[in-house]
Amino acid sequence: MTQQGVDAPGPQGAAAVVEPAEGADGALERIRTLVRGQQFLLLIALVVLVVFFTIERSAFISQTEISNLLNDWSTVVLLAVGETFVIVSGGIDLSVGSTVTISGVVAAKVMGGMTGTSEPVILIVGLLVCIAIGLLVGAINVLLINVARLVPFVATLATLGAGAGFALVISGGAPVGADSQAIEFTTPKLWVFSWPVLAIIAIVVVSYLYLHYSRFGRFTFAIGSNRFAARAAGIAVKRQIAKIYMLSGLLAGITGMFYFLRLGSGAPTSGSGEELQAIAAVVIGGVSLLGGVGRLGGALIGAAILTVVTDGLVIINVNPNWNQVAVAGLIAAAAALQALRPGRGLTSSD
Amino acid sequence: MYGVMSRGRNRLMLAAAALVAAFVAALAASNAQSQAATANKVIAFNVGAASDPFFVAMEVSADAEAKKLGYTVDWQGAPTEYSPATQIPIVDTQFAQKPAALIIAPTDPNALQAPVNQFIKAGIPVVNVDTHVTKLGSVLSFITGNNANGGQNAAKALAKAMHYTKGKTYQVAVGLTSATTTTNVARLAGFKQEIKQHYPGIKIVAVGYSQSQPTKADANVSNWLSSFPHLSGIFAIDGTNASGASAAIEAHNLVGKVALVGYDAYATNVALLKKGVFSALIAQNPTQEAKLAVDDVVKYLKHHSKGGIKHLVTLPNIVLTPKTSAAALTKYTYPAP
Amino acid sequence: MNENPPLLEVDHVTKTYFHVHALTDVSFSVRAGEVVGLVGDNGAGKSTLVKVISGVHAPDSGSIKLSGVEQSFRSPRDAIEAGVETLYQDSGLAPDLSIGANVFLGREKLLPGIRGKLGFLAQREMDVQAHADLERVGIAVPTGRSTVSELSGGQRQAVAIGRAIAWARKVIVLDEPTNHLGARQAGEVLEVIRAARSQGLGVIFISHTLPHVLEVTDRIVVLRLGRLVRDAPTSEFDTNSLLGTITGLIGGDRDPALEAT
Repeated sequence: MTQQGVDAPGPQGAAAVVEPAEGADGALERIRTLVRGQQFLLLIALVVLVVFFTIERSAFISQTEISNLLNDWSTVVLLAVGETFVIVSGGIDLSVGSTVTISGVVAAKVMGGMTGTSEPVILIVGLLVCIAIGLLVGAINVLLINVARLVPFVATLATLGAGAGFALVISGGAPVGADSQAIEFTTPKLWVFSWPVLAIIAIVVVSYLYLHYSRFGRFTFAIGSNRFAARAAGIAVKRQIAKIYMLSGLLAGITGMFYFLRLGSGAPTSGSGEELQAIAAVVIGGVSLLGGVGRLGGALIGAAILTVVTDGLVIINVNPNWNQVAVAGLIAAAAALQALRPGRGLTSSD
Repeated sequence: MYGVMSRGRNRLMLAAAALVAAFVAALAASNAQSQAATANKVIAFNVGAASDPFFVAMEVSADAEAKKLGYTVDWQGAPTEYSPATQIPIVDTQFAQKPAALIIAPTDPNALQAPVNQFIKAGIPVVNVDTHVTKLGSVLSFITGNNANGGQNAAKALAKAMHYTKGKTYQVAVGLTSATTTTNVARLAGFKQEIKQHYPGIKIVAVGYSQSQPTKADANVSNWLSSFPHLSGIFAIDGTNASGASAAIEAHNLVGKVALVGYDAYATNVALLKKGVFSALIAQNPTQEAKLAVDDVVKYLKHHSKGGIKHLVTLPNIVLTPKTSAAALTKYTYPAP
Repeated sequence: MNENPPLLEVDHVTKTYFHVHALTDVSFSVRAGEVVGLVGDNGAGKSTLVKVISGVHAPDSGSIKLSGVEQSFRSPRDAIEAGVETLYQDSGLAPDLSIGANVFLGREKLLPGIRGKLGFLAQREMDVQAHADLERVGIAVPTGRSTVSELSGGQRQAVAIGRAIAWARKVIVLDEPTNHLGARQAGEVLEVIRAARSQGLGVIFISHTLPHVLEVTDRIVVLRLGRLVRDAPTSEFDTNSLLGTITGLIGGDRDPALEAT
């Protein structure tokens, strides 16, 4: 990927002066600047969508609907966060969808067996079970990637299948548990926010800070940008990769608990296909699938755009089959934007 | 570089070998059961989406009935996929093992006709349950629930729950899995037909698809609740939609205010019915379907004649309400292993 | 002549990949304040030797000593901590990171106090110091946060060299540092190498450009087919004799063909 075949004469004077490469011409430079502000474009797209749906149906910005939107955004956003870390590091994690399912199902089984315990204690145990399952799936991914040396796509495809299978075996195909008090927990308590949604927002904020301002994030970007350079610079690459997949599993486990809270049960198919939703959010958000490039802010807005489109089409009562077409269009548009990026895009020559 | 690669390759081989070993061991264990029975006492049972609680209930019932009659059931089906492309190879594999009989719920009437024909040519009797092959005459019997009738019952139950009065209008939404799921289509047709004939005041204002995800069904219903503030009722056309819709109704504190009729008596749904979250549940009778199918097969194998076997049996769908007796609720709750 | 004790000693190093003998019994040393040229044809074992010295690969047998102490590098981190910096040919930088981030890669400075304990970076401080470090070794950097991918090939090379020299404490290994550079820039890189020598670093300079090797080094080590065939002061070579030794037209004093008997 690195493009070093250019024999560029240095500027006069000081030894090998480093300054930004000059763009071909002003117009191209302006386009690049605009594209570099992809988050800004995404934000505009989001606002346009919200305005559009609101004009069609004013109910779209009613208090109940905003809390619906937040609930739906919360089902995918943590997966998108985990996926962003993984994709920035140059990998991919397909297992998150089935991790959501299996953690929810197992937690529901455990919680169902806790009769005579108070609801908060039950839910905390459930959350811990979900976290444990998420970390376990992450650890299996790490073994497959770091020890068995499978490429992440194959490794996490295997855990995706295995997780979905185990979820069916454990649940017998039917939803597990019927916990109405859990559902009550997801109703708005602070204006449009429910407690779980606030917790998820807090996790998102911390993740944002860690990806862009911490050493953990820096290592993640470095590995995705040039794995050899990262190792040569003394970064423990495998250990970092292990932490990243464990993080992705952890966030998927927490999402599994959120699914349980929403449904009041652990459903055997609840997370199926969610990994693709998460990856779509990340791609729409402008994170490069090649690794090393991206902003979590983009992925968060990407998830918001997906949520707004999906819910908006229901609100304005469009044939639901159009939803898939709309999402496909969004991904294509985002990919086209990425292609305009200098150096790393789909149209780059090297 | 090469050193690293060879080390990596060795580890990969080790990992692969371990996986294969574990897989083979698991297969051997599960095979031990089916090998125990002699071939002529084995009834092959084949369904699509074997993990669907409806089919799980069939499995439990078929196993019990076969055991009572001295047979064993070789139960097969793709875990979640309901499609002929995955069903046909499994049927062919079962044929190769020459069972005494085949009970099958074909995922497609045309595509499964040929695989079924090879059993019949080999003198192996075939019974259809739930769904059927194109040439119904070729099979010993066909036992099914009535989806259209279930849809009609749902419309009746929903109208009752909304306290339907002539001259008033009622906004209703329907949650489906997808536009092409055959059972959904038949139920919706029955639902619409009943509305047209008897409840002209009911307007279907929205239809949504869950894509088999209860969370999506939940999101759809949540959105309808803000989009249609005067929504009076919801028909959740299958188990997945029932799970999602009931969660949405509870989350929005609309239990008792928005009528909800669901489908399929999953244990979780029955529990919610008792709490009044569902106004009514339409239950199929997988237990009875499977039992009758096994009975037909065994009868034929004993007497080698179709005497006493009813060719077409349609079991009514049962309407469960919060007022249904506890005994009946237990009876119709889909059993799980 | 340089009379310092040896800083880096490569002692009877052998490395085999599968059945390829990449290095066979290679021994040489570098003193403080000495520039040693490492030359050889493609496949002579130069890159392998670099990777052994910098801890990317462990040797099958033999050892690396620093200031007389035997080292067992199990990763590049060990080599860096022991004071050995390496500029890898073409692949030493993370193109999507900023110049400052690259200079501090693997050695990030953290914020003071609780934020630092939580792992947060002192990015501004690193940017300023990277700027100063590069300038100190004769490379001026803009104070922007442009990524390395936006730089030209020569500019990237300058950042990579600057990083290596800024961090080196004992030995610096430069694998093809003048590749992709114009004549003027190459001359500047050679100047940077001389500056490193005068600071008392041991420098290993690997290059295909023989005039550069003859110009800047004190001693030249020639590898051929994984064996060391000549180790002599630079004054004993001219372009023709060096080329002859590399290609085997002129037999070295430890010629593989002779040793095979």
